[in-house]
Amino acid sequence: MSKIRPLITRFFQQELRNSNALFSLGLYLLGITYLIYLLGGNNAADSTWNTLLWVVVFFGTVSQASRSFDFESGDYFFYFQTLIGPGPTIIAKLVFNATYMSVLSFLTWGLFSVFYGNTVFSPLLFAAGLLLGCMGFSVVLTLTNGIAQRTNGNATLSTVLAIPLLFPILKLTSALNVQAMVGVPFIDVLDLLGALAALDIAIGLLAYLLFPYLWQD
Amino acid sequence: MKGRIYKFTGLALVLYSLVYGLLTSIPDLPILEQSIRNLFYHVSMWFAMVAMMGGSFGYAISFLSKEDLHKDHRSVALAQTGMLFATLGLATGMIWAKYTWGAWWTNDPKLNGSAVTMLIYLAYFVLRNAMTDGRKRARISAVYNIFAFIMMIVFIGILPRMTDSLHPGNGGNPGFNSYDLDNRLRLVFYPAVIGWILVGTWIASLRYRLRKLES
Repeated sequence: MSKIRPLITRFFQQELRNSNALFSLGLYLLGITYLIYLLGGNNAADSTWNTLLWVVVFFGTVSQASRSFDFESGDYFFYFQTLIGPGPTIIAKLVFNATYMSVLSFLTWGLFSVFYGNTVFSPLLFAAGLLLGCMGFSVVLTLTNGIAQRTNGNATLSTVLAIPLLFPILKLTSALNVQAMVGVPFIDVLDLLGALAALDIAIGLLAYLLFPYLWQD
Repeated sequence: MKGRIYKFTGLALVLYSLVYGLLTSIPDLPILEQSIRNLFYHVSMWFAMVAMMGGSFGYAISFLSKEDLHKDHRSVALAQTGMLFATLGLATGMIWAKYTWGAWWTNDPKLNGSAVTMLIYLAYFVLRNAMTDGRKRARISAVYNIFAFIMMIVFIGILPRMTDSLHPGNGGNPGFNSYDLDNRLRLVFYPAVIGWILVGTWIASLRYRLRKLES
């Protein structure tokens, strides 16, 4: 734990200093949201609104996560390997990515609300869906980026590996979010919420167990 | 001789299910009618596929704990055989769907599950081809294999239970209870599943020996 906290702070500092990447991600969000607006997304039905939101979040998170292990090139990798070890690194990375992706998805939700209006009936449930979805995204994308990084930084490979693995999470979260938009009693979505949370925890644990094997040479 | 018994048992069971599956009497169900016979040819493919992928998953775990490259060869051979069964299952399912539902493909949880499964394992093969170093490749692809198998089980085993589906056997359970209660069907279906799994094991063992010779 004592190792994880400074590591997370360090990741955030690194990200803030790297203003180029930060701005390009922001520009992507703004650009793509406005593009959808221009193409008539402002009179979309609920399910289409939700689909568009997830497509935007999906590509945003994929491009954000693709830089997950950039720092490991060269001597830095050995620094992390010997001084910190794989366990704390993966936990810190997962937390960092999940936080980053949640901020990104809430930003997208905000932008969507500005341009197309916010038709979400129960915002709390919708937010829960976004958060749980981003946690799952973070696990899958962090692991696949770790894998891709070990195959000598093949950037397209990580996307190829991640996309099919993201489907179950996407399917569950978007189902949950559609329910939140329509507005159903909390009891009715309890099993969806539970399934999504259980899935997140399970794959998070799996990633934690598997990551050390990626780090051996 | 010992190794031959399961091969011949598998072949005999498959042959039996292929022939007797066409001859046996079936329950009289609306819409499904004669197409219920696809239970023997289509559903058994998916059972065999899950068995093959499960074996591949098991060998991936045992590779990570023992670092024995033979385990890796076995894991790949089983995944390839599982892919073969998935392709056959998809083909038989699509032909069935065309005549029963009127479309080759519908947006159904089970169909999505099978499509995603195939994508996952195609990605696994892409990953393997992206690397050349034997031991490192084996370890990294084993990591992906384990993760992928768990995700596949979630997608084909858990998600369909939470949504509605047109697929036979649904309405809460993606299994085969609703129409398989008939014992005449069971008499062909279970042997078909066992037979195809045995034949699949045989195919995988051949592929494994081929890989061993190549390396």
